[in-house]
Amino acid sequence: MSDLKLIGSRPEVKSAVLSDPAGAFLDAIREPDGENVAAVTGFLTSTMVQAGEQLGLGVLRTISFAGQARACLVVVRSDSVVTAFVEPPTSVATVEKVLDPSDSSPRGR
Amino acid sequence: METILQAVLDVAGVGAALVFDSSGRLVCHRGHAIYDRALCEQLSGTLGKAVDTIQLQQEDWESVSARYDDGKLLLRNLGAAGGGPHVLAVVADATLNASFATVAIRVATNKLKKALESGAASSVLAAAPPPAAASSASAVPAGSRPGDSRPALASSSGLSWSQASGVGLSRIAVADPASSAYLSRSAKELARHVGPMAKVYVEEAVRRVTPDAPFSLSLAARLRDDLAGQIEDADGRTQFRKALEKG
Repeated sequence: MSDLKLIGSRPEVKSAVLSDPAGAFLDAIREPDGENVAAVTGFLTSTMVQAGEQLGLGVLRTISFAGQARACLVVVRSDSVVTAFVEPPTSVATVEKVLDPSDSSPRGR
Repeated sequence: METILQAVLDVAGVGAALVFDSSGRLVCHRGHAIYDRALCEQLSGTLGKAVDTIQLQQEDWESVSARYDDGKLLLRNLGAAGGGPHVLAVVADATLNASFATVAIRVATNKLKKALESGAASSVLAAAPPPAAASSASAVPAGSRPGDSRPALASSSGLSWSQASGVGLSRIAVADPASSAYLSRSAKELARHVGPMAKVYVEEAVRRVTPDAPFSLSLAARLRDDLAGQIEDADGRTQFRKALEKG
């Protein structure tokens, strides 16, 4: 089952975008501006990969950022990036478990 | 501020804790030996770009967590006190006790906010040694570097885009808060068409439109025309113009 289908039915996921690691849009659910989200996520991911390389932290797996009302979860795989907007922000961990149940799979950038 | 960062560093698994400002300049840091000042300055610049990008998605962000195979990077928004937005960054390895770290970082965040409100950042910066050569460019005002022909815009007025809007991480002089808001809106609208580089394009366009004076709303039409030229798609250019004319 694709990542978007996995999380698409969850009520806390308000919208989600599938993109490639370079920021190109691939697919979306309930997100009218998927191309912009994909581009921003691509740039953010590459910047955080760069930060990880500077610190020797290894392969980047996830990025999440949260505000008062919503959060955004970015799950990084070797060939794709999933961006999910989550409300309430405290539900990020639940969505992350769905998308990333184990750390052992060979993926990342 | 170093005392506050030391308390974070004392949590098992934390390798470094640092505060950087809206231009990606290191304000203060504490870390184990490998996380020296040069590395933290380099990291501040990189994370400054990341924060800029996050603000395109979520302006009211409070926390960021990045998980890697061998550790974590945790960011907290310290707000705009102390002369502009500041961010706390914590570097941790895989042994981090997440519960302890959450509490320690929350306490540190509150204390740092108070310290910034009292002007601690400026006093720390004044006492800091000169930045390493690799990162010194960001700390020196434009126009004062040898061979840099760009005028020192930010020093020519009391306001800058980043200070007034809290969105940007660069320093573009603006005539008033309304002009700053217009630049933020332009960057947002442009981002729909060109992606996350929009803010850079806006900065470049402002320098073209008004190289020697702060940006003001009287130049809005010229800026809009200049920015529209950055959009390849004709429909996109039209949408962009309409969106800016609406407001």
